[in-house]
Amino acid sequence: MKTLRQSHTRKWRDGIFFLVMGGLSSSFIVLIILLLIADITFTSFTEFRNALAKPEIQAAFKLTMASCTVAAIMSVWVATPLGYILSRYRFIGHRLIDTIVDIPIVLPPLVLGLSLLILFHQPFPFSKWFGEGFILDEFLRQTLRFPVSFSWPAVILAQFTVSCAFAVRTMRVTFDQINPRAEDVARTLGCSRAGAFLRIALPQAMRGMITAGTIAWARALGEFGPILVFAGSTRFRTEVLSTTVFLELSVGQLDAAVAVSLLMVAMAVVVLVVLRAIGAGLNG
Amino acid sequence: MSKTVLFMIGSIILVAGMVYWLFNNERSVGRPTASNDSKPNPTEGTKSGESEVILLCAASNQSVIEQIRKQYEDETGRKISVQYGNSQSLLAQLEISKRGDLYLPADESFLDNAKEKKLVEEVIPIATMPIGLVVKKGNPKQIKTLADLKRNDVRLVQADPEAAAVTKVARRILEKSGEWEAIKEATKAFRSTVTEVATDVEIGAADVGIVYSPVLVPFTNLEFVPIAELEEGISQVSLGITASTNQPSAALHFARYIAANDRGLKTYQQQGFTVGMGDTWADVPELTIYAGSMLRPAIEESIVDFEAREGVKVSRSYNGCGILVAQMKAGQIPDAYFACDMEFMSQVTDIFPEATEVSQNELVILVPKGNPNKVASLRDLTKPGLRVGIGHEKQCAMGWITQNTFRESGMQQELMSNVAVQLPTGDLLVNELRIGSLDAAVAYLSNAAGAAEFLDAVEIQGIPCSTAIQPWSVAKNSKYPLLADRLFQKICSAESQEVFVSEGFQWQLGSKQVNVPKTTTTQETTAPAVSDKE
Amino acid sequence: MIEVQDLTVRQGTFTLPKISFRIERGQYAVLMGKSGTGKTTILEAICGLRKISSGKVWIEDVEVTNWSPADRNIGYMPQDLALFPTLSVKENLAFALDIRRVPAKKRDEKVAFLANMLGLEHLLKRRVQGLSGGEAQRVALGRALSFDPSVLLLDEPLSALDAITHTTSQKLLKDLNRQTGVAVLHVTHNQAEADALADICIRLPEVIQSEL
Repeated sequence: MKTLRQSHTRKWRDGIFFLVMGGLSSSFIVLIILLLIADITFTSFTEFRNALAKPEIQAAFKLTMASCTVAAIMSVWVATPLGYILSRYRFIGHRLIDTIVDIPIVLPPLVLGLSLLILFHQPFPFSKWFGEGFILDEFLRQTLRFPVSFSWPAVILAQFTVSCAFAVRTMRVTFDQINPRAEDVARTLGCSRAGAFLRIALPQAMRGMITAGTIAWARALGEFGPILVFAGSTRFRTEVLSTTVFLELSVGQLDAAVAVSLLMVAMAVVVLVVLRAIGAGLNG
Repeated sequence: MSKTVLFMIGSIILVAGMVYWLFNNERSVGRPTASNDSKPNPTEGTKSGESEVILLCAASNQSVIEQIRKQYEDETGRKISVQYGNSQSLLAQLEISKRGDLYLPADESFLDNAKEKKLVEEVIPIATMPIGLVVKKGNPKQIKTLADLKRNDVRLVQADPEAAAVTKVARRILEKSGEWEAIKEATKAFRSTVTEVATDVEIGAADVGIVYSPVLVPFTNLEFVPIAELEEGISQVSLGITASTNQPSAALHFARYIAANDRGLKTYQQQGFTVGMGDTWADVPELTIYAGSMLRPAIEESIVDFEAREGVKVSRSYNGCGILVAQMKAGQIPDAYFACDMEFMSQVTDIFPEATEVSQNELVILVPKGNPNKVASLRDLTKPGLRVGIGHEKQCAMGWITQNTFRESGMQQELMSNVAVQLPTGDLLVNELRIGSLDAAVAYLSNAAGAAEFLDAVEIQGIPCSTAIQPWSVAKNSKYPLLADRLFQKICSAESQEVFVSEGFQWQLGSKQVNVPKTTTTQETTAPAVSDKE
Repeated sequence: MIEVQDLTVRQGTFTLPKISFRIERGQYAVLMGKSGTGKTTILEAICGLRKISSGKVWIEDVEVTNWSPADRNIGYMPQDLALFPTLSVKENLAFALDIRRVPAKKRDEKVAFLANMLGLEHLLKRRVQGLSGGEAQRVALGRALSFDPSVLLLDEPLSALDAITHTTSQKLLKDLNRQTGVAVLHVTHNQAEADALADICIRLPEVIQSEL
């Protein structure tokens, strides 16, 4: 007959387990909190308010909100079908496309910006089809009256290029987790492929799309390198908050730079909370 | 299904709304200027559809340019858009995108580079910045010499030598003294702009940096320490007008504002730069040029182009040099004088202390086409009954040179006895020849070039002083010396040189020399009997 | 009625051996074979959800080999049921009718009929998550039958059920077959089920590993 005995070592080991897990996890949390505190103590509230009252900063704020939102929504619009295709279908070149989609994530941001600049200003291969010396930027500016580089569409394009890559990753995983059988059944019930996608797959993907949108928005907010090179950082025109920090820093206005950084943190937190709420609300 | 549709429609509406706002926002980029209500009427204000002047500016000049820009926008109502960065990446951007009207790097070497790549046309000098060390106020670590930078307890940061001008210049100096390698070793980090170096010292991430002194103006806790080893490190800040600009007058308008003594340069000086001479500011400056009349066909077109490009007025007076000099002596002083010969330039050394030789023009004998009187040399002009016209000795260089030539030839008296008329300019002589009131004239080759259909030119050989040398000079009290210099650059450009040559001049650009006043001893040359060679 | 002739399908790197069979109207057929012999694959091929390497498929004497699944009039119940998670039970049942734009009144009548037949009336407003195994299976059945298909394909429908539900469901299936006259192709590895239900029994041969 076996007598039951409580293992004390197990309690200890459990304790150590929680300690280690907690310790490792909290080190990151603590780091972030310390960074925020450092920033907050560096500047005072009046400096914060003064910096935010500057018209350049307000213009940059509005442009940031608009461009990030547009870039994020565009990213989700593009990432959803792309993620769906990559998830559901296997075709020749699947792996290639997979790799291509990941390029903006691994490429240094400045390279991305430089490439965009070159694409728009130098004649690219096959551009001869459009006429000798075809320059994309000129075409857009003069023929379509829609200037891109060094103007707000450039900001959105630069942000989109990176955030879409992240959004595609998210949507791919989202659709991977959705049972494809349901769509199959829907088709046997009389649905077209489009119908199966719209009625069955997409509603299940809603939460994933919110997540993808959130990631895209956050990425767009933080994007700096490509915007600087491709869109320039002209006050009141293509200056967004991330480049504002750079500009203020480059003039030695540390207070303004920190103030704007904190503003960005606040914005990010607000948007994350709002989007989380929407995501949770969807589940209800 | 309905939720999905709702979201899709909602997202499209949101995007549409934002894009609409972005479009509108761009159209009405309202930049608050100090006086929003009483904006002065811009003379050639920004017309609707005209884009702003874009200036690519080095980070080290940011605080001074921002101030100048605000003043400019307040005063003229024109808008300027500035992009700041380090000199190298701005240049790269200019090269790739060809976007930008003005380029202001921190050191001239970048402009030389840009000129080589044909990215920049005019260059206007603005100011100089000394290089030195930056330390925290009070110099806590007592860093006073170059050797201090190598101390173990001293953390040195610099800007990237490839991208920022300040380190390029420092490296140039220190390589000469052999100290660069040691200093490079001692440098803890290389930052991308000179402002970042100052920021590092301010925050405390470094103890010392190598910067331009004006960069420190916005920082309150930093001190500039000049050191002997970097003393010769002076960066010339100059402004370049890009070749790709499609609004050169607007760009030059702002450039002139920056380079004006009583505007931009004042701000530069206040912010710790050393400034040289500049022009006085005027919205549309008027430059006055006196030039010998023979130069008209050579320079008129260039001057018109210059006016259009710069957006300025150039009033020119073409006349015989003697007349011009008399006007000047009477008090009518131009900004620049392009004389027919050094002889007359040397009569006004008090106004024009320096002069540069530009071109040469030969005296020739002009005859009607076909040379009916078979004039082949100076001697032939002594044929009895021939009516010869020459320039007036006192009124124009041409006349004075003619007299010298006659004297040299040894036939002065015989030649003078055939002289029917002495006129102040060669053009008048050409007129008389064409009318028929003269049989021959002694004038410039350039006069012949202009009337080749009706006249022939006969060379005067063997007499060196029959060549006139045209000098250019800018008045020492001119209000617009830089502008006048740019006009001179235009006159010296390749296209202008071609015009000179086609008009019969010889292009002979010399270096700027002291304008030696005319000596009173006359050129009394005992001319040997010169046999006229054919 | 289903007929399949010389059907070959690829599954992964394997090619399943040719199979042919015919099921008449109203017949209850059971497809048997060891696990891994490709039973699900064959069902998917008949549905049109999987490409066929060669062979032909007829439904109701019409050759549907290249038709899309939506046109084949087949009711399909996969092994994991695959109920639509974002729709309620009622919406699941009504799905096929909604697609066919059946007018609301007729649709609701049909749904009520199905709910009655399958004992789902009290569950109509519920979400599909949280249904018991048996309840979910009945919803899937109802969904598959909602548009009066000619054929019902069931992939191991009884495997995941407890003993009591198993028995009731088995009876339910047999009753459905008799009452509605729908031909059934029931896939299982359970001999007892086959004995109880089958009118005809189709055995799948062993899969031969073949190179592509």
